Amino acid sequence: MTEVLVCLEGSASTERAAGVAIELARTLPATLVGLAIVDEPDIVAGSPTSIGGASFRKDRNAALLEDAHQLARGWLDGFVARGRAAGVAVRALEITGSAAEMILAEVPRHDLTVLGRDVNFRFETQDRDRHTRDRILRRAGKPVIVVPGQLAAPGPAVMIAYDGSPAAIRALHSFAASGLARRGDVHVASVDDDGANAFETATRGCELLAQRGIRAVPENVVSSEPTAAALLSRSARIGAGMIVLGGYIPSALARLVWGSVTHEIVERAVVPVFLHY
Amino acid sequence: MNHHALVSALAIAPLLGYLLVIAALPLVFARFWDDNRNKLVVALAAAVPVAIYLVASSPDGADRLIETAREYAAFMALLGALFVITAGVYLRGDLPGTPAVNTAMLAVGTVLASAIGTTGASALLIRPMLRANAHRGYRRHIVVFFIFLVSNGGGLLTPLGDPPLFLGFLRGVPFTWTLHLAAPWAMVSTALLVIFALVDRAISRRDPPPPPRTREPLRIEGAWNLVWLIGIVATVVAVGSYGRGWPAAPLVQIGAMVGFAALSIATTPRRIHDANRFSWAPILEVAAVFLGIFVTMVPALAFLHDRGASLGITQPWQLFWLSGALSSVLDNAPTYLTFASLATGVVNAGGGQLSVHDLGALAAHPTGRELLAAVSCGSVFMGAMTYIGNGPNFMVKAIAEQHHVRMPSFFGYTLWSLGILAPVLAAVAVVVFW
Repeated sequence: MTEVLVCLEGSASTERAAGVAIELARTLPATLVGLAIVDEPDIVAGSPTSIGGASFRKDRNAALLEDAHQLARGWLDGFVARGRAAGVAVRALEITGSAAEMILAEVPRHDLTVLGRDVNFRFETQDRDRHTRDRILRRAGKPVIVVPGQLAAPGPAVMIAYDGSPAAIRALHSFAASGLARRGDVHVASVDDDGANAFETATRGCELLAQRGIRAVPENVVSSEPTAAALLSRSARIGAGMIVLGGYIPSALARLVWGSVTHEIVERAVVPVFLHY
Repeated sequence: MNHHALVSALAIAPLLGYLLVIAALPLVFARFWDDNRNKLVVALAAAVPVAIYLVASSPDGADRLIETAREYAAFMALLGALFVITAGVYLRGDLPGTPAVNTAMLAVGTVLASAIGTTGASALLIRPMLRANAHRGYRRHIVVFFIFLVSNGGGLLTPLGDPPLFLGFLRGVPFTWTLHLAAPWAMVSTALLVIFALVDRAISRRDPPPPPRTREPLRIEGAWNLVWLIGIVATVVAVGSYGRGWPAAPLVQIGAMVGFAALSIATTPRRIHDANRFSWAPILEVAAVFLGIFVTMVPALAFLHDRGASLGITQPWQLFWLSGALSSVLDNAPTYLTFASLATGVVNAGGGQLSVHDLGALAAHPTGRELLAAVSCGSVFMGAMTYIGNGPNFMVKAIAEQHHVRMPSFFGYTLWSLGILAPVLAAVAVVVFW
């Protein structure tokens, strides 16, 4: 049976992600594994300390660790109860360690990972933690579904953003293998200034899906908008409940220089984004 | 004293090296630094070679060490006594965390800091302050201003206020001399309180209204400790005013401090210590670290006394900014003594005959008074520039984080101080020290 890893913390997007994961588990069907992380290395990380401050730091570390464990247990208990109430097989996993490293170690052991878009695994020390999320998305090696905090009314359709690149092909195959195509209509969208080229690329994507027994509709996207905005507009027009992408989120510096369609879509989408790189 | 045996350009290296090590170790080897025994080992590793060098290189080196030990004991006795006594006082009850009440609490803390020390005032008031503002969404600015005012600047008016000033007192600065610093103290405190009131008012508008609840009236528990505190102040004033030159004075002072601390322990109910999360660990940590500072300071102070004037630092404004800049990144107590010694050297280069061991003469000298005022203000005010500038800064940060206030990082906090505190200090420096 498919196993879906759900990364838990306290943000609204994780709350949504848990709901999406439970729905997926009923569709596929799948077993859910709720994972809560206590990022001890972050909590106890060294910092410049005034004379006499080290003793207070020890107390502070102990208090924050205790609080983090309590929160983690609460999230796991809540998730397990929610899953069971929905009739889904679910188990809980609490790990202490660096959030990114621990999650990346768990990802290969499961078929799919579900993550809130605004996850903050350093909830004891920071207001936001994009670094951990982006690191996971860069290095996961397996499909990850990123769920925003505010979801549009979920439609049954799925839109696969396809440009013919190896990453896009991998994402397409990964999506086909996941069983998620059963959710509803599948559309393959390609962006190009030339509509004919876009249609041809999208059609090639549809052919790949057809080889796996999945019927898909090609969508050629010709727009004056930037690529990410054009894809998001098309997704909204189709009424897609999920966007599939073959890409990763580059570093902040690289994004500043070259931009990133994947990052734009992950940040702005109002539906879950299925990513595989 | 024969300085020639001590003075060399390398004399300042042990102190500087030690201060850099104690700044770096919590960052690089945090777990190692958490253990007070390790701190003692590091302090001894720095102090023992210097002590051997002092004894071996100078006929009066042993006397200097004994004098340093006496000074260290008096310093630790006062810090320890204040630490114990203020841990016996607990402010119970609730206040509404409105901008007006917050500003008033900061003002009270600013005044209190000079009476019971910045550490005592911080320990006493930070938890009530956090409780009062528990419902607020954004609270870090309250803690940042608390560090500026209560944990640092407020302590400028008496030697009890901040450790650097007590070191000056131990070296002869009269108890009431620091009251001459009332003008810069008032300017900085008023400016910061006004800025805080405006900032807090703006931020509080975005906060949700406080949940309706019955407020517990404010009351002080452990009020007996205020009597012991008055005893400490009286002892320090009496010894400082009438006991100078009396050989037994240091012992009397140390004995009185230990006695008042013991009375505090004996009369304080355990629940108050529990409420304040009292433990000996912080003061043992201070004792271990300052052991290294006191010994490594000896050659550095001698060097600055002899060569101070040749370094080109002769103006009050220079001493204000330099002592402040170093106080920002190193502890402000040794920084104060270092620059006070330099000021002595400057006065001597102009024909003075001052000793580095008698800062009272420096405080009485027409030029020396201005230089010492600049060093005092720089060391005390700019101890707030970073989390490591003064002892209570990190204590307040750690307690705030335990109350779920997400405090700025080291550099984030420094941006706050550069953006708010530094301009205020610059204005005061122009008015007072230019």
